[in-house]
Amino acid sequence: MKTLRLLIFLVLLSTIQTSTYAIQRFPKPEFESGYTQPQTLMPHGRAEILSYLDVAVLIIALTFISWVIIRKRSRNWVFWTSMFSLAYFGFYREGCVCAIGSIQNVSLALFDSSYVIPVTVIAFFILPLVYTLLFGRTFCAGVCPFGAMQDLVAFRPQKLGTRLNAILGIIPYLYLGLAILYAATGTDFIICRYDPFVGIFRLNASFGMFFFAGTLLVSGIFIARPYCRFLCPYGVLLNWFSRFSRQHMTITPAHCIQCRLCENSCPYDAIEIPLTEKNPENRKTRVKKLIIIIFLLPLLTFTGGWTASLLHTSLAGVHSKVKLARQVLHPVKDEKQAETFEIQAYKSSGKPEAQVYQEALVVLERFKTGSWWVGSFMGLVFGLLIAGKMLKKYDPDYVPNKGRCFSCAKCVDYCPVKPEKN
Amino acid sequence: MKPKIFIIGAVVLLLLVVGFMIKDLFIDSPGNVNPYAFDLNSLRKGDTSQCMYSEDQQIKPAGSEIHGISTDASGNIYISGKDTLEKLDSTGKVAWIKAYPGNAECIHVDEKGNIFLGMEDHIELLDANGTKKAAWNSPSAEAVLTSIATSGKDVFVADAGNKLVYRYDYLGNIELKIGQKDPSTGVPGFIIPSPYFDLAMDPDGSLWVANTGRHELEKYTREGKLISSWGKASMEVKGFCGCCNPSHFAIFPGGFVTAEKAIERVKIYDMKGNFVCLVALPESFEEGTKGLDLAIGAQNAILVLDPVKNLVRKFIPKKKES
Repeated sequence: MKTLRLLIFLVLLSTIQTSTYAIQRFPKPEFESGYTQPQTLMPHGRAEILSYLDVAVLIIALTFISWVIIRKRSRNWVFWTSMFSLAYFGFYREGCVCAIGSIQNVSLALFDSSYVIPVTVIAFFILPLVYTLLFGRTFCAGVCPFGAMQDLVAFRPQKLGTRLNAILGIIPYLYLGLAILYAATGTDFIICRYDPFVGIFRLNASFGMFFFAGTLLVSGIFIARPYCRFLCPYGVLLNWFSRFSRQHMTITPAHCIQCRLCENSCPYDAIEIPLTEKNPENRKTRVKKLIIIIFLLPLLTFTGGWTASLLHTSLAGVHSKVKLARQVLHPVKDEKQAETFEIQAYKSSGKPEAQVYQEALVVLERFKTGSWWVGSFMGLVFGLLIAGKMLKKYDPDYVPNKGRCFSCAKCVDYCPVKPEKN
Repeated sequence: MKPKIFIIGAVVLLLLVVGFMIKDLFIDSPGNVNPYAFDLNSLRKGDTSQCMYSEDQQIKPAGSEIHGISTDASGNIYISGKDTLEKLDSTGKVAWIKAYPGNAECIHVDEKGNIFLGMEDHIELLDANGTKKAAWNSPSAEAVLTSIATSGKDVFVADAGNKLVYRYDYLGNIELKIGQKDPSTGVPGFIIPSPYFDLAMDPDGSLWVANTGRHELEKYTREGKLISSWGKASMEVKGFCGCCNPSHFAIFPGGFVTAEKAIERVKIYDMKGNFVCLVALPESFEEGTKGLDLAIGAQNAILVLDPVKNLVRKFIPKKKES
């Protein structure tokens, strides 16, 4: 399997063509030799029926992968399904539409009534969540092309340890909060802006984008699925939904015999080590911990919100209107330094300076509110993580952490237990 | 290697990715300028070994906004501009200065000393003392007259607005329009993307016109028949680059003097269009200088009108080192 993965990855790598630097004579020459220049045609948008086909493929893939994971329990089938998804949603659909980016469309649609969100985008946002609620993160296992791509390079995955996992695991929450904030304020779609693999899927990107993807893939050799675990904002939602999933992949098909064969099988550190109730906490200690958590959660939520609200001007600096207002307010004094595009466009627009500041103030107000929400969310996340550490869940068996587990079925092959016959 | 090293390395790479995102999102790079801007700096560095001329004299005209330069048979220099017309002798000494209302974009002095001024959309004819004799009708509302040349009874006028050359008689009647695109006669038409459209008379009586969009000089008979052309688009010093060059040219015994914009430089070509040498390197001019009108002065000195520095600059061949 490892050789096969390497082979597929090398084939994919060979298809990448970095854009060549070319210098065009300035400006475009005019031809009047009798040659009639053909009229430039705009490419037609993708036929609506084909976008529904994407949704149909998504439903079929989700249904199939869920069946493969829950019923068939076959890692091979999961792998080949993920390769299909990589080919279809990655290379054929060029990474767009994608469930991860759909968070932004949904956020913008919720906060901007003038934005019309396509039905297919809603489907790509909701369907993986629904399937996760039913079967766990089967979407991550075999439908998400990002996951498939990273799985191909995870040649020497290492265990990161609980602490490092917890620290790095904060990043996706922050990313999610900022992605929603920037989408809701109409600032930017940062998930798409920092989409690491879209350049590979489209076989065309700037050097910077390829370097970005390359860095992530190199780190992915040793940290399996680094984007999924420590960056993916959609993974946060899937994590939450998966915790309440109706059915979830299990390591053992029957009863765990504590053989410990699966203990190191998960490259994502998503197997919970058994915690037996040898020395159970007394009731008084548990009540004390609960009281601390009850006080801690609102305190951290408020502190987070307040802290982030102090940073709202910095966060708003990404918005084009705020950026322009700053440039107008503090013009570049160095005459040798060229004016930015924004300033050039502003000067040619004839817009009054007061209007620029007024528009920036409106944006700042929105960021003030938004920053409170993002900060509060981050405070709550911190609080819940601490609460999770304080309140240990006792389980005598090796089980996947329902939130973090990608349902990739890598661990099932390690279990010697055969399914019980009815 | 120990797994710990792999983990540290991979985590560092991951944090590098996150750091890149934060930097890109929150820190404005000072060089936030057009990444596709064409960098002419390397081309602006002229090869001094190819420059065979040196600047001999700088003449400061009376007018504050100068546009056109011409010389007469005696080597006297005439300068036109906004509201001012002046005549200097060949050494640069002022003969007379006249207030002349309007914007004279180009000037030409014929063999008899008649002064022709291109007043943007029409021609005005003056006597040798600068007294107005006639104002001809404008050829069209879109006319932008940029150059004048005379030969015998003909007055040739370049119109950048209509991309045509007119052959006038001395009474101001248009006898012929030259350069209209005509595939049947092989006339390609003039491509003039900017208001720089020069012409000059060949010693044999035919007309040379700068088809700037094609980066060529084209030779026409007085009947408007295209005889020949030379010039090629190139970033090298031997060619012409940019949207439209050469912006100006003049004919002197044995060759052409050309002036360009974008990469401001003055060059000499022989009559077959072979590059001979540079007269002035790009660093001789302020960046962005346009409208380097040319005239041939006494003893074949090359006179370059520099509208940015507001000077007439005289270039003569470098003295050979013994």
